[in-house]
Amino acid sequence: MADKKKKGKVTAAFKAIGADIKDIGTTFAQGDWKTRLSFLIMGFGSFTRKQFVRGFAYLGTEVLFILYMVLFGAKYLKDIGTLGTVKGGYDANYVYTYGDNSFLILLYSILSIFIIIAFLFIWRINVRDNRNNQNKLSVPSNKDDLKSLLDERFDKTLLALPMAGVFLFVLLPIVFMICIAFTNYDATHQSPTNLFTWVGFENFKNLVSLKTGGFGHTFGTILTWTLIWAFFATFLNYFLGMAVAILINKKGIKFKKMWRTILVMTIAIPQFISLLYVGKMFAADGLVNTYLMKWGWIKEAIPFWTNPTLARITILFINLWVGIPYVMLITTGLLMNIPEELYESAKIDGANAFQTFRKITLPYMLFVTGPYLLTSFTGNLNNFNIIFLLNQGKPQSLELTGGAGYTDLLVTWLYKMTVNDTNYKMAAVIGIMVFVVTAVISLVVYNILPSVKDEEGFQ
Amino acid sequence: MKKMKKVLSLLLVMAMTFACLTACSKSNNAGNGNDKGGSSTVSTEKPTLADYGSGTIKIWVADAAVEFTQQKCDEFFKANPDMAGYKVEIQPTGEGEAAGNMITDVQAGADIFGFAQDQLARLVAAGALMPLTGYYENFVATSNDAGAVGAAKVGDTVYAFPITSDNGYFLYYDKSVVKDPSTLEGIIADCEAAGKNFYMEINSGWYQTAFFFATGCKLEYTTDDTGAFTGSNITYASKEGVAALKAMINLAKSSSFQNGSSVDKATNLAAIVDGTWDASAAQAAFGDNYACAKLPTFTVDGQTYQFSGFGGFKLLGVKPQTEQGKQLVCLALAEYLSNAETQLARFKALEWGPSNLTAQADEAVKSNPALAALAQQLAFTIPQGNYPGEYWTDATSLGDDVIADKFDNMSDDELMKVLQDFQALEQSYAK
Repeated sequence: MADKKKKGKVTAAFKAIGADIKDIGTTFAQGDWKTRLSFLIMGFGSFTRKQFVRGFAYLGTEVLFILYMVLFGAKYLKDIGTLGTVKGGYDANYVYTYGDNSFLILLYSILSIFIIIAFLFIWRINVRDNRNNQNKLSVPSNKDDLKSLLDERFDKTLLALPMAGVFLFVLLPIVFMICIAFTNYDATHQSPTNLFTWVGFENFKNLVSLKTGGFGHTFGTILTWTLIWAFFATFLNYFLGMAVAILINKKGIKFKKMWRTILVMTIAIPQFISLLYVGKMFAADGLVNTYLMKWGWIKEAIPFWTNPTLARITILFINLWVGIPYVMLITTGLLMNIPEELYESAKIDGANAFQTFRKITLPYMLFVTGPYLLTSFTGNLNNFNIIFLLNQGKPQSLELTGGAGYTDLLVTWLYKMTVNDTNYKMAAVIGIMVFVVTAVISLVVYNILPSVKDEEGFQ
Repeated sequence: MKKMKKVLSLLLVMAMTFACLTACSKSNNAGNGNDKGGSSTVSTEKPTLADYGSGTIKIWVADAAVEFTQQKCDEFFKANPDMAGYKVEIQPTGEGEAAGNMITDVQAGADIFGFAQDQLARLVAAGALMPLTGYYENFVATSNDAGAVGAAKVGDTVYAFPITSDNGYFLYYDKSVVKDPSTLEGIIADCEAAGKNFYMEINSGWYQTAFFFATGCKLEYTTDDTGAFTGSNITYASKEGVAALKAMINLAKSSSFQNGSSVDKATNLAAIVDGTWDASAAQAAFGDNYACAKLPTFTVDGQTYQFSGFGGFKLLGVKPQTEQGKQLVCLALAEYLSNAETQLARFKALEWGPSNLTAQADEAVKSNPALAALAQQLAFTIPQGNYPGEYWTDATSLGDDVIADKFDNMSDDELMKVLQDFQALEQSYAK
């Protein structure tokens, strides 16, 4: 069913493009000489119809576009197939001349492609404009045009700048990074001395390769741990946080405010400080081990950070300490929202505490906090801070390639690869994988959330 | 009229956008100036120009050295008024960071920058260093100790000016705890008895070689002049390698052993394998019991070895320049910042041990306890060559496996297998 729907969407998109091209054709065939000339000289039709503002905008766009391509874009775009061939070098006096720079070629080529698409879009508007005006007796005047930008087309005026920003600072870097995954950009192929080039799916093959030096085994290990981590970090925090909140909410508990304040203190101290400090506390020569040894409870230091399994458990444990107060704060208010009558009638019916929790509290909480659970799960998949501040993904092992450690998440591994090993190509591949994992999980979980499936559930 | 104004302003905005886009493109002459050699005659005269032009020279040095470097630059331009058209801009950038930043963007990087020599091959491969020839090659080769000269070379080409010869490690210890610093077993026994810690960062590729080089293992890479690794001579998978690995495993078993190499981060410290940069911190930590010594010996299977390790150096590099005038000024300035007087002054101001032979012979340098211990240890060390970045990562993995007790119950044959894999991995980086 869903498959069919998707196929339908794709064919519809192609059909729309086909229809658009056909429309351009008919516009030309049926157009008068003004319209036809506008295909080449943008804005010509508008000028002849005294729409100077539009005319200047179209013509200006065309002139700017041509200038951009001739002076700047073309020289990068022409090399996009090879990403540069001329290396830099010294002359007899060791004065250096910079050659091609693969990095800049790729970056500006992508920018140029975006600009071409934008230009085609504006050109299309120009053509459509002519077609519309050709059949009309009166066309909107300059004044009307400008006015409409502040009136019925005010959305376009407002969104112009943010859209340009999104293109430049979000879309361009993302496309650039995706492209890097298909090149051999690493420590031995760096600008400006060395050039890098396209290698197709080589890096993706390497990611799943189980040969020595391949990333397959390591990727499997890290991905598994990332998922285990995200699962436990989210749900342990959630249930224990809720338990703490219920406990404090219980009638008969004294000093409620004090208990809450104590827990919230962990939020008040910036994680950067507290995590670095706690990480140090559990080191082999840290506070915990030193005191345990001093009191004679243990003889050898407990390898909190150096033993792979123990390191993972320690991280999950410390994460509880960081996460429980947040969940407690969120759930405290929600718990008070559950109608008291429900509990009272349950009591009369003879339900015990566990039954009321399972049948009343939990469904309500899951319904309200479903979206929070999802965001916190995806947040935990990429929880760089906790891992990196506590133990930098250590311990490493010869069994893992690419400098990965047993507590590394995909995202911290990616960081190490770029910063320590200049392995941009594999980092880009991992980046894509992080996106895929996050996207798949978010979409699947989102669709099974009670708050999405049954919007009216608790109203 | 009003309409025209609006149109005009619209055009202006567009023009500005366009200007913004084009401003990013520097004059990027795609010309290939790769006709090195040919007409150039190797001269040992200091190259000069009638007019050096003017401009700004960007310098990156470690935070602690900024003031010192500024002062020396001022002196340089006072002494060379013909070059005074240039201004210097000194930015504090740590040695490790400098290499990373240069590699990320050579064109925007500093003209002169300080770095530790383990980064040399990486920098050369990224095209961030200009080769030194003629007069300057001669200057580096004749005025510094042999280790430092070797460290400034990739292949047969000199790429940088050595400024210190103190990047090595030795033993700082507490006299009241450690009675005899000559054997590792003795030190460990003293530390365990006192319930204090012995620090050595065995999961670092830099400190780890103290074991492997001691038993006679080799870890050498050959590079061509562009910084690419072309060959290797590694003998970790050997009897000697197993002995070294066993020594590491034995050390890691001790309850006093801690993995680390920073006095500031150590607790309950009795002895630490560390370098001269921590001298004042060690002095503060040990107080009157402060003492330094060369590294001890260790015994494996009845055989005794002297700890070895890397001798390391700090270097000053010049970025490839596109103008002759600026290039010559940069070179002359880098020479000045690395000559005997500057190195001696730097030792007095910052306690950085000089690489210059004349400066090393100075009494003040000779009588410093930390530098004296280092000088003793340097006799047993191997000048640090160039290693692929992956080596450092893999060495950490090996060390982490040792600390995680993965090898504790392994037989010699199994350890040999581990080292064979390690060696094969390291060999795979040289093509």
